[in-house]
Amino acid sequence: MKKILIYSGLVCILLSSCKKDLTSLNVDPKNPSAVPAYTLFTYAQKNLSDNLASPNVNLNIFRLITQAWTETTYTDESNYDISTRNIPQNWFHSFYRDVLRNLEDARNLIPGEVVDPIKRKNQLAIVDVMKVYSYHYLFTTFGNVPYSEALNLENTQPKYDDAKTAYTSLMTTLNTAIGNMAAGESFGSADIIYGGDIAMWKKFANSLKLKMALMMADYDAAAAATAAAAASTGVFTSNADNAKFAYLGAPPNTNPVWVNLVQSGRKDFVVTSTIVNQMTANSDPRIPLFFTTDAGGGYSGGIPGANNNYATFSKPSLTIQAEAFPYTLMDYAEVEFLLAEAVARGFAGVSGTAAGHYANAVTASITDWGGSTGAATTYLTQPGVVYNPANYKQSIGTQKWLAMFDRGHDAWTEWRRLDYPALVAPPTALSTIPKRFTYPVSEQNLNKSNYDAASAAVGGDNVATKLWFDKF
Amino acid sequence: MRKKLLLLVCAWAMFNIASFAQTTATGKVVDEKGAAIAGATVLEKGTNNGTTTSADGSYSIKVKSGASLVISAIGRETKTVAAGSGSNVSLKSTAAEIEELTVSTALGIKRSKNQLPYAAQVVSGEDVNRARSGNFLNNLSGAAAGLDIRQTNTMGGSTNVVLRGNKSISGSNQALFVVDGVPYNNDAPATGNQRTGRGGYDYGNNASDINPDDIESITVLKGPAATALYGSLGFNGVILITTKKAKKGLGVTVNTGVSFTSIDKSTFPKYQKQYGAGYGLYYEDPSGYFLFRDVQGNGTNELVVPTSEDASYGAPFDPNLQVYHWDAFDPNSPNYKKKKPWIPGANGPETFMQNATNFNNSVFIENATDKGSFKLGYTRNDEKGVLPNSQINKNLLTFSASYNVTDKLTASATMNYSRTDGLGRYGTGYDDKNPMSAFRQWWQTNVDLTDLEAAYNRNKQNITWNWADPTDLVPIYWDNPYFLRYQSFTTDHRNRYFGNVMLNYKANSWLNIMARVALDQYDAMQEGRDAVGKVGVSGYTRSNQNGQQTNFDLMANIDKNITSKLNFKGLLGLNIRKDEYNSIAAGTNGGLVVPGIYALSNTKNPLNAPGEFYGKKRVDGVYAGVTFTYDNMLTLDATVRRDASSTLPDGNNKYNYPAISGGFIFSNLIRDYSWLSYGKLRANYATVGKDGGYYQVRNTFTPQTAFGTENMFATPTTSNNPNLRPERTKSTEVGLELALFKNKVTLDVTYYDAKSYDQIIPVSISRATGYNALYRNSGTVQNKGIEISLGFTPVKTNNLTWNVRINYTRNRNKVLELFDDGAGNKIDNIVLGTFQGGVSINAALGQPYGVIRGADFKYFGDPNNEVRDPNMRIVLANGRYDRTASSNFVIGDPNPDWLGSFRNSLTYKNFSFGFLIDIRKGGDVFSLDQYYGLATGLYPETAGNNELGNPLRSAASAFNGGGGILRQGVDATGKPNTVRASANFYGAYGYRYSPPAGFVYDGSFVKLREVSLGFTFPKTMVDKMKIFKDIQFTLVGRNLWIIDKNLPYSDPEETYGAGNLQGYQGNAYPANRTIAANFKFTF
Repeated sequence: MKKILIYSGLVCILLSSCKKDLTSLNVDPKNPSAVPAYTLFTYAQKNLSDNLASPNVNLNIFRLITQAWTETTYTDESNYDISTRNIPQNWFHSFYRDVLRNLEDARNLIPGEVVDPIKRKNQLAIVDVMKVYSYHYLFTTFGNVPYSEALNLENTQPKYDDAKTAYTSLMTTLNTAIGNMAAGESFGSADIIYGGDIAMWKKFANSLKLKMALMMADYDAAAAATAAAAASTGVFTSNADNAKFAYLGAPPNTNPVWVNLVQSGRKDFVVTSTIVNQMTANSDPRIPLFFTTDAGGGYSGGIPGANNNYATFSKPSLTIQAEAFPYTLMDYAEVEFLLAEAVARGFAGVSGTAAGHYANAVTASITDWGGSTGAATTYLTQPGVVYNPANYKQSIGTQKWLAMFDRGHDAWTEWRRLDYPALVAPPTALSTIPKRFTYPVSEQNLNKSNYDAASAAVGGDNVATKLWFDKF
Repeated sequence: MRKKLLLLVCAWAMFNIASFAQTTATGKVVDEKGAAIAGATVLEKGTNNGTTTSADGSYSIKVKSGASLVISAIGRETKTVAAGSGSNVSLKSTAAEIEELTVSTALGIKRSKNQLPYAAQVVSGEDVNRARSGNFLNNLSGAAAGLDIRQTNTMGGSTNVVLRGNKSISGSNQALFVVDGVPYNNDAPATGNQRTGRGGYDYGNNASDINPDDIESITVLKGPAATALYGSLGFNGVILITTKKAKKGLGVTVNTGVSFTSIDKSTFPKYQKQYGAGYGLYYEDPSGYFLFRDVQGNGTNELVVPTSEDASYGAPFDPNLQVYHWDAFDPNSPNYKKKKPWIPGANGPETFMQNATNFNNSVFIENATDKGSFKLGYTRNDEKGVLPNSQINKNLLTFSASYNVTDKLTASATMNYSRTDGLGRYGTGYDDKNPMSAFRQWWQTNVDLTDLEAAYNRNKQNITWNWADPTDLVPIYWDNPYFLRYQSFTTDHRNRYFGNVMLNYKANSWLNIMARVALDQYDAMQEGRDAVGKVGVSGYTRSNQNGQQTNFDLMANIDKNITSKLNFKGLLGLNIRKDEYNSIAAGTNGGLVVPGIYALSNTKNPLNAPGEFYGKKRVDGVYAGVTFTYDNMLTLDATVRRDASSTLPDGNNKYNYPAISGGFIFSNLIRDYSWLSYGKLRANYATVGKDGGYYQVRNTFTPQTAFGTENMFATPTTSNNPNLRPERTKSTEVGLELALFKNKVTLDVTYYDAKSYDQIIPVSISRATGYNALYRNSGTVQNKGIEISLGFTPVKTNNLTWNVRINYTRNRNKVLELFDDGAGNKIDNIVLGTFQGGVSINAALGQPYGVIRGADFKYFGDPNNEVRDPNMRIVLANGRYDRTASSNFVIGDPNPDWLGSFRNSLTYKNFSFGFLIDIRKGGDVFSLDQYYGLATGLYPETAGNNELGNPLRSAASAFNGGGGILRQGVDATGKPNTVRASANFYGAYGYRYSPPAGFVYDGSFVKLREVSLGFTFPKTMVDKMKIFKDIQFTLVGRNLWIIDKNLPYSDPEETYGAGNLQGYQGNAYPANRTIAANFKFTF
């Protein structure tokens, strides 16, 4: 028995001597617990651009929905099958997790990290502008989404905010950010879009404000007019202002289009007859800039949603398929289209004529894609292109749809808002052309009561439900 | 072991008492028939002075004059006789053989089965090594009740070993392997992508490093009461392996065996032979089925097979139709620019599967004397797979020795080294490196494998059937499978060191102290190659892992008879366990510069930062146990363990867990029933605590490859939690053991109910938080079930013995809670893995663990899909099934209703014969192969005529009353469907127009798992040869026949490997039928 006691004693001594270093073992030596805020900012910026630029059928099928592209053999997404690949879920997850979460964390770290007050204010303002920009894509995809209670680990089941109300709040955030931007440093080269140029970010913020103002035009014309007028003096004034995310030549930092079309070796996509016919009818100078030639040496597109023989039809141009082809987050052409629309809607305080802004927009698009001003001038005289004051939505809608050839989601939103061009769902489609995405399955399981409330609030969780901005 | 202990007891006693000895008593202990009983205990009454009988039953002991001797042996009556000279003592058998069994329990402590108050089933080493394959784990299938084995058909693939159901929602549910008391690492280096069918290789699990030739027996400890002493590691039950012990006298055993493996054709696709390449009628020629190209350059367009199309929904075969096939564009082909008839390939994909061989040779040398023992063994296994260019070579070296330093002190050491070299592991999942992806889902029935082999062999280039276009001769989706196997292969190595040094001190007759340091270490490397010219990007990846576990054990064992009827066993121990795991993985970026050079430096673009992990962990445990046994009839056992783990936050890192068990041999009280040879009731209650994994307490940021010169970090996608607590399992178990009719029938029935709660899991949360998941103590899973093990001995004569063993397992599993904060916030589903087809494996509230979710049919009058009557499926106006928009429906449950095995063994003179039938009833499996393969028109179901005698694949215009398919179901008004769906385009049968629910199959099977025939050469013959003591020959067939199954063209057992994601099958390999022959020579 004595021995037992001795050994027991030994055990106790051994155990107590180990206690101190026990928890210190649980510190990951390979991953930091603190990082500079700008590294998160860059990461968020890249993911934001990747989400919008990607043609991956698991994430971003907006080029298919808007019938700029269609699929060759595996035509499920061109027929609006969004559930098999959980596309709404992937989109939702990636925006909150890979973009907004990292922006939010950068936002939380900046005050403790950046000493210079102007730099600090500028950084926070840029982060806020990017947050507003990102939320714009969530609200316009789904309708109501979590906003005021989002990005808070203390509340793992955040409520969904009414999109209209949240949009007003986003506008306020944007105004504050614009007001806080002052000449001086910001993110420097960690900002891939503008290299930290705060003047550019101010223009970007005003352009975004203009864009958001017109989103409100159909349900709150007064507020839209005020915001548009206020923004219109600070927006992009040339293609030199365009917000482009400049991809690099080597993976994993290339344009996702290259990854999916070239690197994969697959032959999944051709352009549609819808867009090719529209452009050839008006001798659009962007035809060779948008498309490759078809099997016959001309330009032709596949039928949306049908099986299409890859070799037969035109594909997105080699420029678009290049590794380093930049993604355009917002450009001067879009701004001019917005100004044209604002004038056409009779918004006081927005200068110029609708036709003038429209011509500027079309010209900006053509020159940005690599066409000449002369070609643009000629193009604008085409009967199918000349601005139609009787139906501004038709002129602007159609031309915006063309200008946004590589910006599927923006093209989708503008199509829903302006209702032009007149797209027709394929006869084989599973639904009408989606007016919104259904909410992610994950939200049904993990945030049920709020999901139920949001579904009811938007008018039913299905793709045919029109969203708040899509009044007509 | 017991014998050795007794010998030690005896030696010690003699040493102490020698000075008082006055006389020497001798004698012999025999059984009823007069045969010697070796190892019987001979004690001087009232003292600790004792000895054991030698092999011939004789004993010799110095005692005081006039003393009495108490003579006992396990399973026999105890007699007290006067000490004398040369007297024979006969001990009758008390009852059952069952009582004689000695069972290894937790920490390697031997207990007689009598005293065991919890379920433990013993499997002989022979039973798991008869087939002498490279991986003995698969042979555990059907070996014990409560054990669920799932094996893959890949060469060297991993084996899923689960006892009593899945307990942990997201952690490992694999049973712990323990070799001679020391935990044995059973990690599997597969990636998450591999497990969810997204490609990769299954490199097997580390327990396959155990040398099967060295296994004496395996004890399956199923419940927490039996395993609580292992601490957290024993959470999932224990597979306890006892290695062979050296016997006295020099022994040499040589095994030499060979086996032949071929595929089971019933688990390989059958192909329709009516239609060839294409997806439908939309190509270039007027018929729409073919490309239309000017191949000869003469201005005339001619028919060309649409080579880019990986489906067989094209033109009907017509031997009179001449078309250009894929090989017409290979300048080195004799068919270059030549047309061939449009006919099905004469040699289909089954031609690709080779007959494989396995060579297994081993030698064991052993000896034991009074001073010690040693054992030296070497096993070499050379395995070839059924795919070309695949093999695994294994070298297993075993050495152990012990030496009796003094009468009380024994020093021993064991060292096992193993080296595994793999070549050409099978690509798994939905991936271009898995040839089954093409064969089962994306294939042209017009392709002939012999032509492909010839095309590859001509110049070793990727001449594939799947050209992107006749004018663009690169592979689009699929390589020539021969190029794939011979050029884009993997290699892998693993070195494993497992050993310990141990000191055993026998302080006195009742106290034994053991100190041991055990090391389990491995280093492994896997290299992957993507040859230049293959589909996609060429490249090279390598991954290195290094794992180490060190166990320091100090244990005191007490075994004392307090009175003649009351025995006390005590246990007090200390265990310090240190785990270390590090890994590094890197790959080339954007392709290889120089073809054929597989090095990280041969990268086209700058390398991305490699993935690195370095984990350290330590658990300090103390434990104690007491066992009281009264009159060899009542046993009460209690244990308690306290762990302190480094993976839990300070303040929450210490946790205790007790277990209490009782056993009652009621047959000792009721001796009147002669048919009842033995009867025992047992019951126990146990809790087990478990710590977390590496680094789940503090959040860290995740480094990303820089964007040019701009560095990036990401917020982690799963948030850690500084408030974690240990997780718990509570279990109760009751059991009944019976032996009837003089042990002709034995029965062991166990009922258990276990709840695992407060689990440390990454609870999925709304992604609007910016996180995928948050580590929390949350979730409760219940497993309850019945295990039955029934033995018969229908015949037992001197020449003939026939034994039957039936094992039955029924486990019911339910997720009782996932997360509920009590304030209305709760979660009703956690996705464990997402797969192709919008299908996921889930932990769903109120459902069995691991249910399959996906889009479902719509059912008339059943809006919530509760009844799911196939006759009430709603068919749309176009004749196709309607489907739910949401993929949030439970469409299958992979948990089997029950498992059963039926083993027969017969010995007649020198012959032995046995077979094992393995049964799984229920358990759903989603088949991605059917989902896609039916859509692409590969299988016979998609061709031929419908019930009206018209072609199924007929045009839409002819469908009503003509061709097409009539779906079972009702229209929107509930009337039986009468509209035929057009089936002239791909997708009619597969995924496009049926929801994933249509591809969930019942995974039941009845398999003839093993048939063996053995022959022991007659002694007279062997003796004549002089050199041998014994020669045995065995012929074993494994997986010879799937007697029944419901999953078409595939093996319902096939999975992506070990782990929690079961019930999903895709790109499956066929089952392997093996016939093995082995000679065993004993010198």
